[in-house]
Order: sequence, then structure tokens, then C-alpha cells
Amino acid sequence: MFKELNPILHSELRLGIMSILLSVEEADFVFIRDETGATAGNISVQIEKLSEAGYIEVKKGFVGKRTRTVCKITEKGVDAFEEYVEALKSYLEINR
Amino acid sequence: MEAKNLNEKESLELISQMIRNSRLKLKDGNGIPFLIWGYTTFFVSLLVFFLLNATGDYHYYWFWFLIPVIGSIAMFISRKSIKKHARNFIDRVIGNIWIVTGIAAFLISLCTFYYRIPVLFIMILLMGMGTALTGLVIKFKPLIISGFIGMGSCIIPFIIKGNEQIIVFGVIYLAMMVIPGHILNYKGKRKDV
Repeated sequence: MFKELNPILHSELRLGIMSILLSVEEADFVFIRDETGATAGNISVQIEKLSEAGYIEVKKGFVGKRTRTVCKITEKGVDAFEEYVEALKSYLEINR
Repeated sequence: MEAKNLNEKESLELISQMIRNSRLKLKDGNGIPFLIWGYTTFFVSLLVFFLLNATGDYHYYWFWFLIPVIGSIAMFISRKSIKKHARNFIDRVIGNIWIVTGIAAFLISLCTFYYRIPVLFIMILLMGMGTALTGLVIKFKPLIISGFIGMGSCIIPFIIKGNEQIIVFGVIYLAMMVIPGHILNYKGKRKDV
């Protein structure tokens, strides 16, 4: 039986961001941009979507005069990610 | 990367790749804290030794407090120049090891005003523990070895009498922190090449 793939996570950039945040305790915008190679505008939009879904926490601060955005995955985000991976596995098992 | 849909296999590959890349990036060692505290302790030890030998005035023991002052300023400056864009569990563990070690060292220093305690022995043991623990957490052999050797050499201040203990104390810090600190930095730079 197919499990439904979470549409919020089933997108290349959002999935990439969540994967990064799963392996670090927190990462800032620069790290996420360097790792994903995506544009700043696109990352901002996807971070906003993930934050609205409650999957990540976003803190905005300053380093000197520059703004610094730090993201952290939430427990809800970890649970959603786990469910997504399980759903993926069910698709791959069925396709064998 | 874009906001496009992937198939199941691509999704799993992306997850593995992102996690692997993030871990590799944060694995780069930073030996600068060990260099700062190692060199600061060594040079302050030399200073205290020469001042005591030259003058015999034990008020120069106050100069030991140059270590936390100079070390803290140097750490503050180095943190500003090293931009860390992400922090993982290991960073947090190491940070907490040194916060606890630093607080213990400070409390021991305060005790020396009221009680006669073998402070050089305690400091070498304490910093050796911090070094060995850090080495074990980041799985870096030179730090593990130097940390345990440092801990073992804590008995040296009991064997060597007089002001010469102070020089030996400084040299122990050179071996325990400075040498592995340089190795850690060198290995970190090689990974970037």
C-alpha cells in the first residue's frame, strides 16, 4: 500500500534544506546556500514554507551590521522527515 | 537546487548526499583554541619564572591571571575572524567540556587565595582531561595522546622543586596543546586544498 508523500518535503530544495538541518544542530543562511547552490531568493521562499509548516525554527539576528538568519529543525520537522523516508521506502519496495 | 519534484530514488539520494556533505564540512578541525591557550600559558609561565627568579617577590604570582585575560581576549578576536555557519552536536559537546573546565580552573584559582593547594598539579590534570576528552569526541589521535600524556605528567610538579616547576609547567602545555593544535590546523588546511 502506498503511503502518501508529504508535499511539503517532496520538493528538491525543501528536502535538501531539511536534510542539512537534520545533520547539524543549526545552520545559517550562508551555509544552506553554499550547500544547496540555490539562489538566495529561492531559499528564502522555501525556508518560509518550512517555517509555516512548523518543520523548522528561524531566528534572525545581527552580526555587526549584517543580518544573520539561523535555522534549526523542530521535533515536528524530524517526525515529518522520518515519515517521509518511510513513505519513500514503501514506494521503492513496491517497485522492486 | 530548485523547488521541483523528484522521484523516490532521487529523493533518497539527495538526502544521503546532503547529510554526507554537511558532516564532512563540519569535520574540519580548528586547532586555534589549543594554540591560544597553549602559547599563552607557556609564555606567561616563562614571564612568572623570570620575574620570580630575578626579584624573589612572590607578588608576581598575580601574573598567572594574565592567562585567562590574554586567552579570553585572543579567543574573542579569533571567533570574530572565523565565521562558523553551522553548528552540530559535536561543537556543542566540545564547547560545554571547555566551559566546565574553565569554570573549574577559575574556582581552583580563587581557592589559592585562601588555601595552599598544589595548583600546578591540578591545572595540568584538569587541562589534560579537557584535551583528552576533546580528542576522544572528535576522534583525533594526537589530541588524545597529548591529553593523556599531559594528565600523566601532572605528577612532575611534585618531583621538581622550586621555581623550575613553573618552566616545566609551561613546557607541558606546549607539548599538550600547542603541538596537537598545529597538527589539527595543518590537517584542516590540507582538506581545503
